[in-house]
Amino acid sequence: MNVAAVSAAALPLHASSRGRSRERAIRRFRWAILGPFIALLAFVLLPVLFLQLYFSFHQWTVYLGSWWEAEYVGLDLFREVLSDPRFGWAIVRSLAFAAGSTIGCFLVGFALAYLMHKPFSGQALYYTIFILPMLTVPVVVAYTAEMLLYQSGPINDLISRLTGIEFKPMWLTNPDLALPTVMLLEIWNWVPFSFIIMLAGLSALPKEPIEAASILGASSWRIFWEVQLPLLRPVILLALVLRFLEAMAEFPKTWALLQGGPGTATETVPVYIFLTTWQYFEISKGAAMSYIVMLLMIVIVLLAIRLLRREKRSLDAMHVSSPAGPESAP
Amino acid sequence: MARIELVGLHKTFDGIIAVKNLSCAIEDGEFVVLVGPSGCGKTTTLRMIAGFEDPSAGEVRIDGRVVNDLEPRDRGLGMVFQTHALFPHKTVEQNIEFGLRMKRIPAAERAQRVRQVADMVRIAHLLDKMPSQCSGGEAQRVALARTLVTQPTTFLLDEPLSSLDAKLRRELRAECDRLHQVLKRTFIYVTHDQEEAMTLADRIIVMRSGEIIQIGSPMEIYSNPVNYFVADFFGSPSMNLVAGEIVPGEEAARFRCTAFEVALPLRFKSARAGAATLGVRPEHVMLGGPGGIELPVRLVEPLGRDTLIYFDAACQRAFIAVSEGLGRTDIPIGAALALSLAPDRVYLFDADGRRM
Amino acid sequence: MRRSHRRRISAGARYLVLSLWAIVAFFPIYWVIATSFKPDTQWFAWPPVYFPHPPTLANYLNVWFGAEEYAATQYAISSQKPLVSLLNSSIIAGASTLLSVLFGSVLAYGVSRYRILSETRMFQLLILRMIPPIVIVAPLSLYYSALGLLDSRIGLILIYFLTTLPYAVWMAKSFIDEVPRELEQAAEILGASRWRTLFEIVLPLIRSGLVATFLFILILTWSEYLLALILTKTDVTTLPIELSKYQGTTEGRVYGRQAALAVGITIPLMIVGLIIRKHLARGFSFGMVRR
Repeated sequence: MNVAAVSAAALPLHASSRGRSRERAIRRFRWAILGPFIALLAFVLLPVLFLQLYFSFHQWTVYLGSWWEAEYVGLDLFREVLSDPRFGWAIVRSLAFAAGSTIGCFLVGFALAYLMHKPFSGQALYYTIFILPMLTVPVVVAYTAEMLLYQSGPINDLISRLTGIEFKPMWLTNPDLALPTVMLLEIWNWVPFSFIIMLAGLSALPKEPIEAASILGASSWRIFWEVQLPLLRPVILLALVLRFLEAMAEFPKTWALLQGGPGTATETVPVYIFLTTWQYFEISKGAAMSYIVMLLMIVIVLLAIRLLRREKRSLDAMHVSSPAGPESAP
Repeated sequence: MARIELVGLHKTFDGIIAVKNLSCAIEDGEFVVLVGPSGCGKTTTLRMIAGFEDPSAGEVRIDGRVVNDLEPRDRGLGMVFQTHALFPHKTVEQNIEFGLRMKRIPAAERAQRVRQVADMVRIAHLLDKMPSQCSGGEAQRVALARTLVTQPTTFLLDEPLSSLDAKLRRELRAECDRLHQVLKRTFIYVTHDQEEAMTLADRIIVMRSGEIIQIGSPMEIYSNPVNYFVADFFGSPSMNLVAGEIVPGEEAARFRCTAFEVALPLRFKSARAGAATLGVRPEHVMLGGPGGIELPVRLVEPLGRDTLIYFDAACQRAFIAVSEGLGRTDIPIGAALALSLAPDRVYLFDADGRRM
Repeated sequence: MRRSHRRRISAGARYLVLSLWAIVAFFPIYWVIATSFKPDTQWFAWPPVYFPHPPTLANYLNVWFGAEEYAATQYAISSQKPLVSLLNSSIIAGASTLLSVLFGSVLAYGVSRYRILSETRMFQLLILRMIPPIVIVAPLSLYYSALGLLDSRIGLILIYFLTTLPYAVWMAKSFIDEVPRELEQAAEILGASRWRTLFEIVLPLIRSGLVATFLFILILTWSEYLLALILTKTDVTTLPIELSKYQGTTEGRVYGRQAALAVGITIPLMIVGLIIRKHLARGFSFGMVRR
């Protein structure tokens, strides 16, 4: 029980002046901390959101002079965006990319974490190597990929030598392969993320219930399925949700290297918005698009938050009574 | 039937010897308690029997068959853990039926057996609850039920009562005892609490630093401790142990220490001279009488059933006598009282702690 | 020996799988490092050159130190100034991270002890981080331009600070939660004000946690690409942008040079990451892992 927090935040309502002045002091402190934060958010975010909203309803390109003289067009821009097939395809690609790379990251990361969660010799070395891919800057990953996946490059060479066939696909220049390739890059880059989370989750699992299950006759598979997995649900959800959200926003790997190409093969939503705004200079269309995407993402994030909070609550419920410390109620 | 033999069990962790060449046999249906201070290897031994640790050397045999190679689930054992180890995400009922599900017992039979066992440990009212909603004592009963329902040949219990308070501990202790009498199976119980060992065991195995110091019934351990350590470990209040020396004499040897000098009983006639420790349990120190000891009173503790009187014997430990009832609570502090020791209850330990 | 036999087989299988992934994880990193030491004839060689022979420092000298004598003649490079970018990256990443950790830990203290934010709000804070920056970057650049913050270090510092704040708060909170409240109560009885308690008692106690948080967020700010791309033009360049500008004006890519640049960008990050590797889990847990 957080005695100080309870007494600080939910004071008994004294009629006494001491109680009241203490309450005042606490309120002052809380606002001293919260105030600047809210002010900052308001100062930066509000104008930005307002401008974005403005541009979604007013047609403007850079050549039309100052922006506050732009022409009001009602919902035209939104209609234009929603009927744009290229936008639809961008969303499809983003979702496919995010889903595919998230699942891939998760499966590999979980497998690695499972193999690593019991101590064994050399474990520290493997751990160190495994986290390296996440410590590479995403732009660097993009350029490195080009060096590696160049048609006459090392990857093709190695695979050719190992399998004995002439294996020379054009990973990044073949439109059919480009998006899957970028997905693989994303997976390589972020496996350490799921790995670390799942490892933390697995290590935090209580050991004695697992031993109890073992002596009660459960095989390793049963233990995994019935004891470990259910208890890991919050962590798994976290790993999936966080990665999915970040993958939806991924930009360097699709832009820096490929500019959404070849053609539009890797044109995900961030790339398309970027093109629309900074290459076609259709700022208003870009704004409308951004708003739609932002609303979409907020819905997804809120859903994710609800899921995560539910998991956290059930996790808290499971730990209400701790086995340490004496108890008297029979 | 389950007769368990430990043959030359040896276990090292990173160069530290946890269990040293341990051999003993546990008969079918016995209630055996492994007892000793923390770090003596008792839990490690239990875990080797269960199969959670592999012995560095030696064998574990069940009914003559070497089981070192068997996984815990194939050894036919049941285990109750110190932290109840219930599955937090399953209800009490799901927890209890877990072992039966692993054996693929059909649902109807499962439900019936779970009910039976829940009644046996009196937790039937908890079946729908989650472990976090149970108190410590209830949770431990559920853990018992979970093991009972699988009808193992042997029950292993790893300090199951340490996380409970004194009153609950006594209740659940009685429960364990009752279960043992009803089921007549082998119980191997690990604890650091000598009182639990004394009350529950058919036989006690006293361990220290990875070795067995003494095996015997509670009575034997209590009245015939093989060394200083065992004598000191058992008994509450603990045995009075005073350091001094043996002075040989023509008719009888004498024991001399800073606070007093007393003639030793005849059986010590041929004791060698030298440093030694005298041991006598508080309940065998009588007030008054021609004992030859006179000590000043340091403290009087009325406990209700008895009164403990602490004397100053010029050493770190107080010298305690037990007086029945509350009759002698009026003794003034500092007063010197004459004491005598029950002659056949006096122990002598040599400089190495061995009993003489 | 059935049981130990089985153990040995599964241990062997485990080593096999882990080693496979270790190779997959490490090979690209090795390749970049190796390429950075290759003379330009070996950049595109077929079959590929796995170990530069002889290794050369030309790429590094040219990229990082502007040594003109190593400027490749066949590949004209529209080079920027990597060292300046390094400076910019250091200042921007360092300052924004510092602000983030400072502000974040004060906020975290408020959340932990004074419940200034409910649990719901704490999760909603993550929205700040999870919304793709692309959706606000256009109006942001206009806003910045009006404020004169475009193409400035401060502009980037400000936005990096805001977008990493959620992480800072979450991480700092997990550390502060572990400080026993009795210490603060003792300080209060001894006459300390709330601010003093925060800065003199609580924060010093979680010093190592704050360092871990700092380094963790540093990784994020150092490698950020999109915001830097749009909010800077010519005056200010960060390293990730530098890399993308560094390409040959002829058809081919200047792999060796890019590799040397890439190594310079990545090595500091790897060192940082390895230092805090034990703390990485905390940054990601968000209350889903019971300690």
